[in-house]
Amino acid sequence: MREGLRLVLEGAGFTIEAVAEDARDLVRRALGLKPDLVIEDIRMPPELTDDGLRAALQLRSELPGLPVMVLSQHVQRRYAVELLRHDDRGVGYLLKERIADLETFIADLHRVLDGGTVLDPVVVAAMMDRPRPGDPLAGLTPRQREVLALMAEGRSNAAIAARLHVTEKSVVRHVSLVYDALGIDQSSEDHRRVLAVVRYLSR
Amino acid sequence: MGAVCVAGTLIALILHQGGEYAWLTAGFPVLGLVYVTTGLVAWARRPGSRLGLLLVIAGAFALLPEVAVVDAPVPQAVAWIVGTVILGVIVQLLLSFPTGRLHTTTERVVVLATYVVCLPLQAPLYLFDPDSPLCVATRPDLVTAGRDVQRVAGALVTLATAALLIQRMRRARPEQRRVLVPLSVYGIFALLVIPVSSALEHSVFEGDPVQRTILQLVSVGLVPIVFLVASSRGGFDRTSDLAELGIWLGSEEAGRPELRAALATTLGDPSVEVLFRVPGEEALVDDRGIPVTVPALADGRGTVDVELGGRAVGAITYDAMLVDRPEEIREAGRIVAIALDRQRLNVELRASRARIAATADGERRRIARDLHDGLQARLVLLAVQAAGRGDQATLQAGIQSAIEELRELVDGVMPAQLTERGLAAAVEDLRDRLPMPIELRVDGLEQRPRPDVESAAYFVVSEAISNALKHAGPAALSVSLERTRDQLVLAVADDGAGGARARAGSGIRGMVDRVEALGGEVYVDSVPGRGTRVRAVIPSAS
Repeated sequence: MREGLRLVLEGAGFTIEAVAEDARDLVRRALGLKPDLVIEDIRMPPELTDDGLRAALQLRSELPGLPVMVLSQHVQRRYAVELLRHDDRGVGYLLKERIADLETFIADLHRVLDGGTVLDPVVVAAMMDRPRPGDPLAGLTPRQREVLALMAEGRSNAAIAARLHVTEKSVVRHVSLVYDALGIDQSSEDHRRVLAVVRYLSR
Repeated sequence: MGAVCVAGTLIALILHQGGEYAWLTAGFPVLGLVYVTTGLVAWARRPGSRLGLLLVIAGAFALLPEVAVVDAPVPQAVAWIVGTVILGVIVQLLLSFPTGRLHTTTERVVVLATYVVCLPLQAPLYLFDPDSPLCVATRPDLVTAGRDVQRVAGALVTLATAALLIQRMRRARPEQRRVLVPLSVYGIFALLVIPVSSALEHSVFEGDPVQRTILQLVSVGLVPIVFLVASSRGGFDRTSDLAELGIWLGSEEAGRPELRAALATTLGDPSVEVLFRVPGEEALVDDRGIPVTVPALADGRGTVDVELGGRAVGAITYDAMLVDRPEEIREAGRIVAIALDRQRLNVELRASRARIAATADGERRRIARDLHDGLQARLVLLAVQAAGRGDQATLQAGIQSAIEELRELVDGVMPAQLTERGLAAAVEDLRDRLPMPIELRVDGLEQRPRPDVESAAYFVVSEAISNALKHAGPAALSVSLERTRDQLVLAVADDGAGGARARAGSGIRGMVDRVEALGGEVYVDSVPGRGTRVRAVIPSAS
């Protein structure tokens, strides 16, 4: 896994500064090296539970704004919420298998590097499918739900438009209707809206 | 002791009076003594059986007529009146073997008839015989007529007795038959010896009373010995009584025979079976934990329930022909209830272990099948596509779905959240994936319980939820996880159809097994139409 990742990253022009042995090692090295980007797994030694997630949270509280891409064998709504709770700038949370789609993966890394937010579609789906009493999502049209999901993944209006094969203008219209339905402040900046969406979804 | 004194006195008196046949006449008190002695031995061995008592009574009736040695009106009269009662006692002995109790009305009628032959029908003999001190009129014709009536009636009751014995022998089990046949044959022979030999005195014994008397003495004298031997043989062996069960209970566990064997010996019924009542099974189970049908009384089997503290823990089944007093079995059941309950727990434990092993085995089989049928087949297909003309996009999509399948499979085996974040997180995650909203209350789970407790708890919650969704069709579902100082309490409640039973699906059974393996308990409260509430309490020190 680590070797595969190294190949992908070096192929895309990244430089590997250091490879950590475990979560403690990761925190120590990252604090010392202050890298441009940290890529890590959630489950890692020593405890093999959520050590990686705790390391990411610790790093981001000590080095605010440090871009971190968290990879995992499986994704949890709860982990996404914890990662985005205080600061949604420069955070990515993807399934490990997304590495296989090189183009998208490298693009996602660059988005995180630039302070953007990337959430795995599976996490978003888990959030949106979660049944809740009096769910206002029930009032959304299928297209609006698609837009909301892509918003939650951290995609820009342009990217959403490209993905859905519609004009950016119509995306903007959908987004504003979604905001209305969810009661989210429309003035949110581009990357801020992920936070808004996620906060809503994780309620 | 008294019997020995009486017999001794009688023998002394007889020998003192002397006469040509004094040595022979002395044989009668000796005969009585044999009866009394064997009776006492039998009684000591089986106080629960009346056989010993009957032998002692027979001995008394053998001794009683001999008081006639005292030449006074009263002893003479007694001798005349009770002279043949011993034959009635022998009939009763034969019909009531081995318990000493009569089983059927027919048997009681026959025994009663025998005593009528021995006592009232004896009356003409002493009322009209001038030799008797009770003689009211000298009427030899009436004496002869009375004797004839007595003989015919005697022959009839002997026949009836023989018929009953034959019927019993035919119904008996082979090992009982080996004892019953010689005993009954000899008994009938002994019954016939006295009247027949007396009647044939002139033709066969040529008027020699010595030979006849010796024959009578020996054949009647052997009766109690035959009974004593028989009662300790074959299907009738019983060497101890209920009190001995108490001794058995108190004995070293390592060296003591098993419960069933102890009961079989005590109750004198080798066919005794011990059955257990285990939670979750409607039928009683045997010592291997296999449910059994309780045999019906019609098949000659009786069943007595065993309770401990008002709770049914099991049952004892027995041969209804051999043991005619259920109270005795019930009493034995009361004595061994604790031991039975303990063995029941062992049986239960063994059964639940077997089920846990079977469940684990079934899980492994399911995982292997899923891997083989799903993932392996998919990988083979991908390999073929990669080798052939498959395009990049199809290949990637195939790999993608193989990865998803693997993830789901792994999550099904052990949810990632359970390992990483513990019970509360795993249940929350489970809730997120359910098709309907559920109310979740979590309390005191900041500190994680032991992994095995977490796994069992998660299993219970997910099983209860999936049961509710599958069978109950609820409108509302609530889950609560509460950790107190020393236990974890789980509750899953729905407002669905209700009527769930532990036996019905292996699901609830599996929950119970897993929780009980940790020393906990599961309560399923499911009234049809009033929803289901599954509550599990698992010991878990914080």
